Amino acid sequence: MQRRDFLRGLSVAAASAVVVTPSVSFAADEKPKGSNALSYKEALAAVTGSKTPEVSKKIALKVPEIAENGAVVPVTVEVDHPMNEDDYVKSIHVFATKNGNSRCVDAHLSPANGKAMLSTRVKLGETQEVAALVELSNGTFLISSQSVKVTIGGCG
Amino acid sequence: MRKILQISLCVVLASSLSFASEQFAMSNADRAMYEELMENNPADMMLSNGSELLDALGGDAALAKYLGLSEDELPVYLAGFPRYIEKFKMVVSIDQMLQAFMHESGKKPYALKSSDMFDMSSYVKSIANEQPINIDIEANEHMKKAYALGKEVFNTRRGGRGLSCYNCHNPGVVGGILRTQPLPDISAKGNASAATWPAYRMTKSKLATLQKRFQGCMQNALLAVIPLGSPEMTALEVYFTHEAKGAVIALPGLKR
Amino acid sequence: MSKRKTLIKVKPNKYKNGDIVKVSFMVMHPMETGLRKDKTTGKFIPAEYIKNVKFEYNGKVFTNMNIWETLSVNPVLTTYMKVDGEGVLKVTFTDNEGAVEESSQKIKPKG
Repeated sequence: MQRRDFLRGLSVAAASAVVVTPSVSFAADEKPKGSNALSYKEALAAVTGSKTPEVSKKIALKVPEIAENGAVVPVTVEVDHPMNEDDYVKSIHVFATKNGNSRCVDAHLSPANGKAMLSTRVKLGETQEVAALVELSNGTFLISSQSVKVTIGGCG
Repeated sequence: MRKILQISLCVVLASSLSFASEQFAMSNADRAMYEELMENNPADMMLSNGSELLDALGGDAALAKYLGLSEDELPVYLAGFPRYIEKFKMVVSIDQMLQAFMHESGKKPYALKSSDMFDMSSYVKSIANEQPINIDIEANEHMKKAYALGKEVFNTRRGGRGLSCYNCHNPGVVGGILRTQPLPDISAKGNASAATWPAYRMTKSKLATLQKRFQGCMQNALLAVIPLGSPEMTALEVYFTHEAKGAVIALPGLKR
Repeated sequence: MSKRKTLIKVKPNKYKNGDIVKVSFMVMHPMETGLRKDKTTGKFIPAEYIKNVKFEYNGKVFTNMNIWETLSVNPVLTTYMKVDGEGVLKVTFTDNEGAVEESSQKIKPKG
C-alpha cells in the first residue's frame, strides 16, 4: 500500500518535471517505506495501550555496544521473574527504535517455558537504541533499552 | 605523479588505523557476545545440505572409495588438502577433487563458485573436524612449488593501491584496528584461518570458502581478483594452510 | 516451493524430566524487506519474510513468536522449555504469503 503511494508520487513528480523544467530532480531518491513500517512510539502503544511501562532492572537486555555489522546484531533478553502458573512473563517484545518498522519480535511465552528468555539476531539500519518490553501475567509492563553503535566494519 | 599518489594513499590508510584503546574498537564483552553466536551457526544448515548432496553421490563411503581409502582414513586424509593428486597431475583443493569425483560418478560437476559446491566442499572438509591440519609441503616438488607460489602471491604488491596481502596482515600491524576490526596477522605461523574456513559470513549471510574470502579481500583492496581453482589461488590456499599446520579443524566457522 | 532447510537444536544434549532446556530454531530464509533493489534490474525485490514461528511440545504451544522482516537473513530464534516426558518438539512457521511449513525433533529425556 505504502509502496503504491510512493510509486504514484513518483509518476506525479515525473509528470510535473516534464511540465515545469527538465532539471527538477525526481522523487526517486526518497526512501520508500515498507508495508510494515511502524514507528517505535506507535508500535509500543499498540502493545501497551494506555499503560506506561516501568523501567526495570529485572530485564537483562544484552546487545553489543558496537555492532560488527548492522545486518546481524545479536539480541538476548532475559527476565528475572518466576514462570509459575499464576505468575509468569506473558510476552517479550524487541524493538529497534529507529528502524522503519521498529518491531522485531513479539514472543508470547507461557509457564511451560520454565525460564523467560528470548534470543535472536536483528538488522539495524543505523546507530540506535534497542528496547525490550516485557508484559507480566498481571498486566504490568516493564521496559529496558540499550544503545547500539552500527559501523561499517573491516574489509569487505 | 603516480608515486605521490601512492604515498598519499598510504598516509590515508595509516591514519585510518587506530589502536585497541580507541572508542571504536569492540569491547571484550561485545566480542564474547559475537562468539556466542557460534552456538547457532546458520552454516550448520548449509553443511547439512552439503551432506545430503554428497549422499546423492554415495556419501562418505563412496568418496573414500574414490580416493582409495577406508572410511576411517578419510578424516586424516582430508585434513591434508590442498594436495598433489597423481591422477590429476596437479595440486588440488577439496572442491576440485569433488568435481572430478562427480564427473567420475557420471554427474555434471557443480561449478566451483556455486553454492552447492560451497555446501558440499565445506561439508567434506568438516569430515576432518577435530583433526589437526597435516598438509605436507615437502611431500613432492609440486607441493613445494605450490607453497612457493602461494607465498609469492601473498607478498606481491599489485592493483590500484599497490597492496599485497602482507601489507595489512603482518606482525607490524597486529593489534591495529581497521574500522572496528582488529587486523589479524595471517602471515604468522599458527594462525588458524585455514582451520576455521569455510565459514558463515554475517555481512553476506552466506557460506564462503577460504578461496572465496581471498577474492573478497582482493576486490576490496583493488587487486585483480584471482579465479577460484586457478594455480595461483590453490597455491595461496596451500600457503595459508601450511601456516596453520597443526591447528585443529573446527568447521563451519562464523565470521563477521 | 521446495521445503526450506531448518535446524532445531536442544541444549544441553542430555537432559532429564523437569530440566529446563534451551531450544533454538534456525531456518534458511532471505527475510527480504521489500526495500532492497536488485542490482541488475534496478527493481525492488519483493518482501518475503517469516511472520510467525510457533514452538509446540506434545501438542501444547509454549512459545509463539510474531516476527518481522527486521530479523537477520537466515533467522535464529531461541527460547526455553521445560522437559516433561518423551515426545515431539514441533516448530511451525508461516511466511508473509501465508505458506506454512513445519519441522520437528524428538525429545527423549534420560531418567
